Amino acid sequence: MAGAGGGGCPAGGNDLQWCFSQVKGAIDEDVAEADIISTVEFNYSGDLLATGDKGGRVVIFQREQENKSRPHSRGEYNVYSTFQSHEPEFDYLKSLEIEEKINKIRWLPQQNAAHFLLSTNDDLRINLWHLEITDRSFNIVDIKPANMEELTEVITAAEFHPRQCNVFVYSSSKGTVRLCDMRSSALCDRHSKFFEEPEDPSSRSFFSEIISSISDVKFSHSGRYMMTRDYLSVKVWDLNMESRPVETHQVHEYLRSKLCSLYENDCIFDKFECCWNGSDSAIMTGSYNNFFRMFDRNTRRDVTLEASRENSKPRASLKPRKVCTGGKRKKDEISVDSLDFNKKILHTAWHPAENIIAVAATNNLYIFQDRIN
Amino acid sequence: MEFKLEAHRIVSISLGKIYNSRGQRGGIKLHKNLLVSLVLRSARQVYLSDPCPGLYLAGSPAPPQPGEPAAGPPAGWGEPPPPAAGAAWPETETPPERPAVPDAPRAGDAEPAAAAPGAGDSLQGGEAEAAWRRVEGPREAAAGGAGSPAVVADLCPEGPRAARRPCGCPAGGEDPLGALSAPPRVDCRCAPRPAEDERSAPPAVGPRKRGAAGVGGGPAGCQALGASPLKKPRRHLEEQPAGAAAEEEEEMETGNVANLISIFGSSFSGLLRKSPGGGREEAEGEESGPEAAEPGQICCDKAVLRDMNPWSTAIVAF
Repeated sequence: MAGAGGGGCPAGGNDLQWCFSQVKGAIDEDVAEADIISTVEFNYSGDLLATGDKGGRVVIFQREQENKSRPHSRGEYNVYSTFQSHEPEFDYLKSLEIEEKINKIRWLPQQNAAHFLLSTNDDLRINLWHLEITDRSFNIVDIKPANMEELTEVITAAEFHPRQCNVFVYSSSKGTVRLCDMRSSALCDRHSKFFEEPEDPSSRSFFSEIISSISDVKFSHSGRYMMTRDYLSVKVWDLNMESRPVETHQVHEYLRSKLCSLYENDCIFDKFECCWNGSDSAIMTGSYNNFFRMFDRNTRRDVTLEASRENSKPRASLKPRKVCTGGKRKKDEISVDSLDFNKKILHTAWHPAENIIAVAATNNLYIFQDRIN
Repeated sequence: MEFKLEAHRIVSISLGKIYNSRGQRGGIKLHKNLLVSLVLRSARQVYLSDPCPGLYLAGSPAPPQPGEPAAGPPAGWGEPPPPAAGAAWPETETPPERPAVPDAPRAGDAEPAAAAPGAGDSLQGGEAEAAWRRVEGPREAAAGGAGSPAVVADLCPEGPRAARRPCGCPAGGEDPLGALSAPPRVDCRCAPRPAEDERSAPPAVGPRKRGAAGVGGGPAGCQALGASPLKKPRRHLEEQPAGAAAEEEEEMETGNVANLISIFGSSFSGLLRKSPGGGREEAEGEESGPEAAEPGQICCDKAVLRDMNPWSTAIVAF
């Protein structure tokens, strides 16, 4: 019963078995909205793990040194610092409330000479900030039409290339990704590359546009690939091929027939993220019912795992889960109609070098790692 | 036919979402509302391209599918606020008789049993319903003319407009926004429209700004009939139609859609732009004043009225 994960660990290459390591957060059934985790991010060494929540708080966990007297226990993550990062604000001029929810945390690359960061809280613009100039930014992408009635798409995610500091990508609600080079012009409204997969006309529905909206885009560590997440799938793109992805992985295809209901209850607007493992051999993304999915790009295998308190005994192995999509439900399978759509895993993070993953399940943070053989 | 029902349902749900979004914390979410408007457009196109416009469903409704759960919002998402409009308006006449839930969209619903979250539906049905009923009165008075400016202003911040009959036929006999072709309302005593108009009129919505022309649009929905706009679409999944008579027809008030969209979506109306050729004009010489009578007895079929509710209340609230 091996988990997927491929050769993420430098010493790895064998089949991995994922084990529970830790869980952070309250057990209460009644979750306060402010406690819902909205972002999870390892830093560049993996020694620090940060979460942000809807209440504007940031919690930073630090990995403890491995305990020599307990060789089987890898370093645990314990709280290093907690602070209130954002408070609710009200813009009196525009009569707008500004949410304190933490949308994204990005660690400063300590070894990277680049000192810029992208901010994309605005649906229509991307601004470039110099870390030492805090009172103004450069606007590098602006897709706001002169007439808002002509608006047809918004920016949904953006990321710098990990190696070429002048290159970044941004994704759109139309399911496209544009790669831009800041050296080519000051305003990157014109892209260098345009990634779009032609729509399959046979699968057209009322909700085709919604489910093709990209919720996350992530470069591989190598910088050669990027991954996009839409509602039902994860796609891996080769940056040298714009016409279609090189891989498409179905996350929960069984939901395709449920789109109307998911539209009604707003689940169809959920924005799932995705992440690469350190060696880019595996990718991970979340789903419903506190399930998360891993895809091994080399072996083409995938696995569904669950973050739950029931499976939270120390070093307990995670059993692969299976969703029954029709016909007779086998033992241990769960039927689509039994899935809990309140329990969604939107945010996951993979340690940059080891097989340690952090999975945010509403207000709880689960940490899993591979079993040490 | 199923597609048309589905489309109708989806349009109702979409409009409800747009309405709800106004009260959400953090303001209207551009991305989500853009996607909703795209769905709205698709559904509208399907509805209009359906080759069987104006058909009435015969027979009794299908019972709700067992195990179809309430499609309320997932827990933790925050409940939309109740309609703000409630408290200010005077109680007027008795609420119209109408079943709590329409529609045979469920009968024709192509979707299998919903895989919906278990979160309870957060309907504030009771108080919301009462609020909408209170709305009913002043709207009636406003029909056919300028109406009570104060009330109209309350309901339709865009500005006073002539009321629109519950059947969708504009009081003034014109419908410059008129845009979407509506299926002929067979029971409507308004002068019938030529049949071909309804097929050939292109989908149209105005980019007409609010306040343009006093006719159509706003108060169309102001004759809301006691439906909560917030959760109406979700109710479809969970409740039985209140009466057996509930679904003898499935008539969508597409005339209102154009108005709704033009009111709601100046941001997105580029997606829903009126095609060249414009909309149809309503036949003139309609009767006036049936609205003064009890809501249940105006010119249109009850079922039409029922179908109006999600739309009309959405208009008003927005």
